[in-house]
Amino acid sequence: MDGVHDMGGMHGFGPVVEPGGEFAYHESWEPRVFAINVLVGVERVGGGPGGRVVREEMEPARYLAASYYERWLYSAEQRLLRKGTIGPGEVEAMMRRLEAGEPVPVHHDPAMAERVLTELRTVHPADAPPPDARFARGQRVRVKRMHPAGHTRCPRYVRGAAGVIEAVRGADRLPDRAVYGEKVDPEPVYCVAFGSRELWGPSEEPAWTVALDLWESYLEPA
Amino acid sequence: MTDGHDHHHPRPASAVELRARALEALLAERGLVSGEAIDAVVELYERDIGPQNGAKVVARAWLDEAYRQRLLGDPGAAIAEFGFGGAEGDNMVVVANTPAIHNMIVCTLCSCYPWPLLGLPPIWYKSPPYRARAVSEPRAVLREFGLELGEEVEIRVWDSSAEVRYLVLPMRPPGTDGWDGDQLAAIVTRDCMIGTAVPVAQEPSAG
Repeated sequence: MDGVHDMGGMHGFGPVVEPGGEFAYHESWEPRVFAINVLVGVERVGGGPGGRVVREEMEPARYLAASYYERWLYSAEQRLLRKGTIGPGEVEAMMRRLEAGEPVPVHHDPAMAERVLTELRTVHPADAPPPDARFARGQRVRVKRMHPAGHTRCPRYVRGAAGVIEAVRGADRLPDRAVYGEKVDPEPVYCVAFGSRELWGPSEEPAWTVALDLWESYLEPA
Repeated sequence: MTDGHDHHHPRPASAVELRARALEALLAERGLVSGEAIDAVVELYERDIGPQNGAKVVARAWLDEAYRQRLLGDPGAAIAEFGFGGAEGDNMVVVANTPAIHNMIVCTLCSCYPWPLLGLPPIWYKSPPYRARAVSEPRAVLREFGLELGEEVEIRVWDSSAEVRYLVLPMRPPGTDGWDGDQLAAIVTRDCMIGTAVPVAQEPSAG
């Protein structure tokens, strides 16, 4: 999806370093929203594609206006709604109840804490190396021109650019289809290195390299 | 951007905070998410998992050449020697700085980050300016962090666009001869492992 989340190279956002920016969050509700997102996944109460995909679907002006964890709150709610775990208007109804001073409902389940900690600490095997990679290290490739309406991990700023295979990473399912539940076979993922001139043209800065991990479907021989 | 200067002063909750509280309350009322589970996740990344993990790995790599080779060759296994690993850390790649190459990591599409080694990312890492500019004007970004690199140094920016998560292995600074692992780890900051800073030898302050 060519949305505003795909930010590589955009202008006008201002400075990176700002007071307070070194913290992971400022307000105590923010890590709780992060935790709820994790739990929506671990407890399988959310529907549709994952939180990242849902956040990308936010209307662009709203995405940019929202704080980081506000987007995560949006994705948690959306996933719960899509599964039917909660119904439309139920969050608003609870807001009114809390504002009216009703006691805050609590739920105790220490075993759930154990489950989520186990899940977060579980080491899964790294992606297996692909058996039949089309491209080899050192080979020149070009990123296809495309304009996908759905989720993709191929940022706009590399499309049409030529680079060199830096490494063959592993085999993984193409997210453009897999996140929507399509059954697709794993395909090779490559680390591709691009020269800065190829991506951005002339710059006042000495040339640099940008490397990304790209699925084979995004690439063609250069 | 939220106000970060009012931790100790009661103030009316924002609309988004009310909404977050309401969602948590709704899930509790349905018996779907427990308070203990939320607390556990929050505490895990506030207390147990953070840049102190990555710093231990870096310090070991500085002290032990065989470990450094394992870390670069099979990062998952080398990191697991410390017991570190889990969500957002299953496909690790460690990129080593040298006198000729300086590495930095970014996620232009969202906020991908090696949680088991660095915890949750800082606000600047997941904000539009860094996501936009790290790939298109890295030296200008590094200058904001106070890092000026010589023109002869090649900057390599790693955009975490797939499942690989990156960690920068910085160079051990001069002036640290004879330091032990704890002393070395103390100067390996989070930003050094993202690549927006480099370690500087400072005697750890007493206490």
